[in-house]
Amino acid sequence: MNFLAQLRGELRKLFARPRTYIGYVAFLAMEILILVVYKLDRTQALARKQLQTNGLEFDTYYSSLSITFTIMTLSMFVLGSVFFALVAGDIVAKENEDGNLRLIFARPISRLRLLLVKYAAVCLYTVSFVFFVGISGYLMAVAAVGWDGGLFVMEPKMKVFAAYPEWSEGASRLALGALGIGFSMITISSIAFMFSCFKMKPAAATIITLSILFVDMILQNFPFFRPYEEWFITWRMSAWLFLMETYLPWAKVMESFAFLLGLNATVFVIGWLNFQSRDFKT
Amino acid sequence: MLEIDHLEKNFHGSAALKGVSFRVERGQIYGLLGHNGAGKSTTLGIILGMVAPTQGEVRIDGVSVQQDRARALRKVGAIFEAPSFYEYLSGWQNLKILMSYSGRFDEALAKEVVERVDLTKRIHSKVQTYSHGMRQRLALAQALLPEPEILLLDEPTDGLDPEGIKWFRDFILELRRERGMTVLFNSHLLAEVEQMCDRIAILQGGELVFEGPIKGLEEELQRYHIESDNAEKVSALITPHGGIMEVDELLLPNSIDPAHVLRDIVQSGVMVRSFTPKHRSLEDLYMEIKQQNPSTPRA
Repeated sequence: MNFLAQLRGELRKLFARPRTYIGYVAFLAMEILILVVYKLDRTQALARKQLQTNGLEFDTYYSSLSITFTIMTLSMFVLGSVFFALVAGDIVAKENEDGNLRLIFARPISRLRLLLVKYAAVCLYTVSFVFFVGISGYLMAVAAVGWDGGLFVMEPKMKVFAAYPEWSEGASRLALGALGIGFSMITISSIAFMFSCFKMKPAAATIITLSILFVDMILQNFPFFRPYEEWFITWRMSAWLFLMETYLPWAKVMESFAFLLGLNATVFVIGWLNFQSRDFKT
Repeated sequence: MLEIDHLEKNFHGSAALKGVSFRVERGQIYGLLGHNGAGKSTTLGIILGMVAPTQGEVRIDGVSVQQDRARALRKVGAIFEAPSFYEYLSGWQNLKILMSYSGRFDEALAKEVVERVDLTKRIHSKVQTYSHGMRQRLALAQALLPEPEILLLDEPTDGLDPEGIKWFRDFILELRRERGMTVLFNSHLLAEVEQMCDRIAILQGGELVFEGPIKGLEEELQRYHIESDNAEKVSALITPHGGIMEVDELLLPNSIDPAHVLRDIVQSGVMVRSFTPKHRSLEDLYMEIKQQNPSTPRA
């Protein structure tokens, strides 16, 4: 049996469903709104003030790359997490609810293999969605302010500050950042995937995942939890921002990505063990 | 071909199957009967590895489903009652996806199978536009694509119109004739099972209460329906032959020629209006078993 043929089939199912595209449409609408706001005089004045306060030229850094970075930073965690949880929460539970799994279980495929195919599809969807947001955001920003200019990065919470005056350097760093976001977002998909393997409705898998993430985020922002912020999932997920620093702190990045990788593997195994032990009536 | 060996299954402490065993030989059409909740679907679920038995084992062509499910199911095709396909995809795309879990998708074979189940014209339409009969034919196509040696059918004719049921029955019988296909047919439609199956098993409350060939349903006694003007005299006449009179039914040992008995009755002056042989149907057998266990729900 060919894993790639199975993966292709899984992706075909995923991308043939109308609800898969809700996220794409929502992000396009949001990007248009952000760009409209960016073009307003008061917004430009604010950006000019922020850049000039930091000793940077407005004409260089008020650019398509900087706008794309803002779109990805602001929107991905809050809005993206909803769609990743929705799609990953659906992928097993919905097929069970609809009865599609019965036909698959009549085939000589192991449950582990089936979950691996589905998980690979979810990961690909997550990463491709992040790149879709990045590329579509950039293209819209190019239409609004032109293609050239550098990249300005400022994220006070993670204490990241960087400026790349050259387009090529800024673009490559943004692409690296998108890869990092993609990897981080796989954690949301993995948690939703685990719940999807449990005996529950797809909506429940999505809601529980989002609840976990939002509780994690809220607790992380409590002042007395600050000293322990590195133990929170959402803090680790924000570690992709370190990829935007002028001098790449690989140790910090790898530490967080290893944490996320371990978490993803753990929740996958928990989901698989539960799925493996379940009875599916015909 | 298919060996069901002492299957037991408990769901939350209650026994769904209690030591069920039977064998389906190659080329046989085997009916699995029982009321709702008798354990038919659980048995099928265990055969497909979807349900783990508490005890016992299923072997397909000698390979244990519980120990090596992937190898055991290589020669299996299955159809379920109201099969659920991916509605937003075409029939063809559904076949391609389902086949990816079994092996290589052979386009030429798929076209041949689709033509055989009479879906060629609609195979590229979305499944959501299919009628129930078309879905069932698509289910048949997906089950046949891996070129199985054994077909597991779970209430496949439920919801089909009489024409659809006949088409389905003829198709299965043709498959057996052409390829020697082994079929396990799970149903509560007794007439359907009687017309198709060589052998049956009846489950009741998770227990196997009957297992045997359909042709062997006849009892040791011959049954005749008799209408006469003197039942008491008829009873007295047949008793020396070892016969029994039950209201308007005459039960005679197989060794007795009924023509001789009829001649004796008529010669004794009894007016006989009708004397009709009565075969014991699957329904009769099923009802007898039910009467022995009156708590059994209706089929």
